[in-house]
Amino acid sequence: MTNTVTADRRHFEDLAVGEVITLGHTKVTREMIIGFAKQFDPFPFHLDEAAAKASLLGGLASSGWQTGALSLRMLVDSFLSTVASAGGLGFRNLKWKNPVMVDDTIGGTVTIVELRRSESHPQWGIVTLDFDVRNQKNAPVLTMRLANLVDTRNPGAQP
Amino acid sequence: MTRWFEDIVLGEEFALGDHMFSQDEIIAFATLYDPQYFHIDPEAAQLSHFGGIVASGWHTVSIGHRLMVDALFAEEDRLRALGQEPGVSGPSPGVNSMDFKVPVRPGDTVRYTLVVTDKRPSNSIPGWGLLFNTITAVNQRDELVYRAELVGFSKRRDYVMPLSLKLMQALSKSPVIGKWIKRGS
Repeated sequence: MTNTVTADRRHFEDLAVGEVITLGHTKVTREMIIGFAKQFDPFPFHLDEAAAKASLLGGLASSGWQTGALSLRMLVDSFLSTVASAGGLGFRNLKWKNPVMVDDTIGGTVTIVELRRSESHPQWGIVTLDFDVRNQKNAPVLTMRLANLVDTRNPGAQP
Repeated sequence: MTRWFEDIVLGEEFALGDHMFSQDEIIAFATLYDPQYFHIDPEAAQLSHFGGIVASGWHTVSIGHRLMVDALFAEEDRLRALGQEPGVSGPSPGVNSMDFKVPVRPGDTVRYTLVVTDKRPSNSIPGWGLLFNTITAVNQRDELVYRAELVGFSKRRDYVMPLSLKLMQALSKSPVIGKWIKRGS
């Protein structure tokens, strides 16, 4: 069955190591921080200004998982929704470099650092992506290396 | 862990509990954070190799984090009930590895377990210790959903700050001298 959703998108063969994807920008508001924290990370330092000031974060800051999720969202908008993505495999070395504080705007780049065909599943290639997410002062907030599957156009080709 | 750094036993298993993923919440999470068609569109998802909608890995992980936070609070209550003073956990500096295995489909129930595999005093933040945690998530068929190696902070009960460090911290608050101290660290 032809996948009509992804047929016209870029496939694994169309990607190149060194390609730099520019992420959009996301402003992280107090409502967003508290909303996510209530649902997924209800530590007082993500919910309450006074508790946040007294913590290692020094002020109300987003959950690291929210920073990651918003970074992923920016990658979906600028890259994953334009290629024949077949899902994520996971990530390595995620580092929260600086907290994302109320009204910070995050953005940055993602670079393709490796491309290899899956040996066990010839219909897929694995794209390895390095995230460099920064705030409006250009200070790093998140880095990680993520692996994602992308459909190959020609599964019969030699890996 | 909401135990003092010194009280954390390596290898002890903490059952964090489980969570059933409904199709509505899978779509709601992915619409905000991971709007790929196989996470948000049940019909189009049938064309994908998943053959139907699956949860964003980031969703599965965020739920695991929530259950861990709840377990930390429960441990705090348990220690207080025993008349003990609970420890303090801090924000996480990062994740060493996260491997997604089988996908989570609507109606699946995922069970999470945490084990502290190693610990050491922090070099960069005096008074705190680093914890190396492994979280595993399995579904109702005991298939591995993900395995993560995370780093966390826990406060050291017995820590006494050396006088020289106290002096440095006091000086670093001075606007003039502080600039030079921060530059050097």
